[in-house]
Amino acid sequence: MMKQEKLIRSQSVVARVVAGETLIVPVRAKVGDLASIYSFNGTGTLIWKLLESPHTVETLAEAVAGAYDVDMARAEKDVTDFVNEMKVVGLVQAPAAMAMAGD
Amino acid sequence: MEQQSYGELSAVLHGRQNGQRVPLQVSVEVTRRCPLECQHCYNNLPMGDKEAKRRELTTEEHFRLLDELVEMGSFWLLYTGGEIFARKDFLKIYTYAKKKGFLITLFTNATMVTEQIADYLMEWPPFAIEVTLYGRTRETYEELTAIPGSYDRCLRGIKLLKERGLPLKLKTVATTINKHEVLAMRQFAEEELGVEFKTDGQINPRIDCSQSPLAVRLTPEEVVALDMSAPKGISEYRRLAKRDSENPPNLSHDDNMYFCGGGMNSFAINAYGEVGICVISQQETFSIRGAGVKAEWERSLLELRMQKRTRVTKCMQCRIQSLCGMCPANGELENGDRESPVDFLCHIAHLRAAVIGAEIPEHGECEFCAGGRQHEAVTESARRILSKEIDVESWVGPQHILPILNNVSVAAGGCGSCGNH
Repeated sequence: MMKQEKLIRSQSVVARVVAGETLIVPVRAKVGDLASIYSFNGTGTLIWKLLESPHTVETLAEAVAGAYDVDMARAEKDVTDFVNEMKVVGLVQAPAAMAMAGD
Repeated sequence: MEQQSYGELSAVLHGRQNGQRVPLQVSVEVTRRCPLECQHCYNNLPMGDKEAKRRELTTEEHFRLLDELVEMGSFWLLYTGGEIFARKDFLKIYTYAKKKGFLITLFTNATMVTEQIADYLMEWPPFAIEVTLYGRTRETYEELTAIPGSYDRCLRGIKLLKERGLPLKLKTVATTINKHEVLAMRQFAEEELGVEFKTDGQINPRIDCSQSPLAVRLTPEEVVALDMSAPKGISEYRRLAKRDSENPPNLSHDDNMYFCGGGMNSFAINAYGEVGICVISQQETFSIRGAGVKAEWERSLLELRMQKRTRVTKCMQCRIQSLCGMCPANGELENGDRESPVDFLCHIAHLRAAVIGAEIPEHGECEFCAGGRQHEAVTESARRILSKEIDVESWVGPQHILPILNNVSVAAGGCGSCGNH
């Protein structure tokens, strides 16, 4: 994916904190695998929180590098992998797609 | 990112509780009104019952309840009735709950499921939909539900849900009226539809204390014969008995009256906004209309859950508890006393043990154990089940030669606790 491509949380999933765990629950049929739910580690939770508003991989990586004291190249690679995984299962989407899909 | 199945997640989240009181699972009864009039039902009321409708939580009250449940850490939600779709606003409540991220199970008889409802559920899928089927023929189904046309409406509802690939399961309550069609219902579910099927032979008195459902309850011998006819019946009960024998349950180690998850990791809310330990335990409930559900969970339900036993019963040192359905709610419904052992359940548990050859260590004065008044009857029933003298496959429907005898009404009785007799 392009470093400048903006992404935001999908409106077809809901985040819940249950028993101390951040869970991402698919709620609408648009998400790939409705039979699964997703949980994040600390870094994933940070990225998820940021994706409440549109962000690029670059801005997400900057936040991760700052929070976890890792170099920018490593942070960008990790964030890219993570965001790609989320895109595949439909947890994030382009802001424009969200606006068009409506609710 | 970790992707987890629901089963894995459930184990993780329940494991994290570490003995803390968190209501992970909540049962919400949205109405007691139902278009069917099943004789075995513990709570159904007519669709046109205006007083029942007036007392129900409003849509907005349901929304507020859901907001509080999120805050309390609840995750699994069961919507039950009556019939959930008897409420015109049910999908509004359901959608609100979906948007809050609950994992939702729906209990329905499917007779009110329309194409629009099925399409909507496909767009906003529940975690599971459990449909109760009351017979495999129109005659039997409608003898139990007492509503002409209900069989066809149920099958149509099932078809609409199945066609849309929704997570459907079927189940039945076995009664004297439909017991001969349980195997056909299982075959329909598992072989024709390819969905899971389960049977429950346990029928309780009504929560308004009427004993009328007991007129169609199977005998303990019939319940166990049916249990053992299920594909994994014997092996499952052997597994449970082995677990009890390796880690003997011993209620005398705990002086609390309640020993289930009710009031610890689960609770129920009835149609009128009253919380209780579970859906059938209705002697002591607390309205959420005043202080809200969180306050009642933290105060009233905690006090109820911590109530102490007042006496020693044979259940306390019983070692076959996993084969038994006894709990304070069943004691309450059947005997009007949470601590009184229920003979019907005790009989079933001892018979299950006899059929699978499980040893029953002495546990006080028990009429179903060796030397007890009913022991011989248990042994004889076990022999009849094992020898197939009682053969579920050869069961036939109720004989209507003398209709008046098939319409037995049990004399009013009940627990005497509510003054509604």
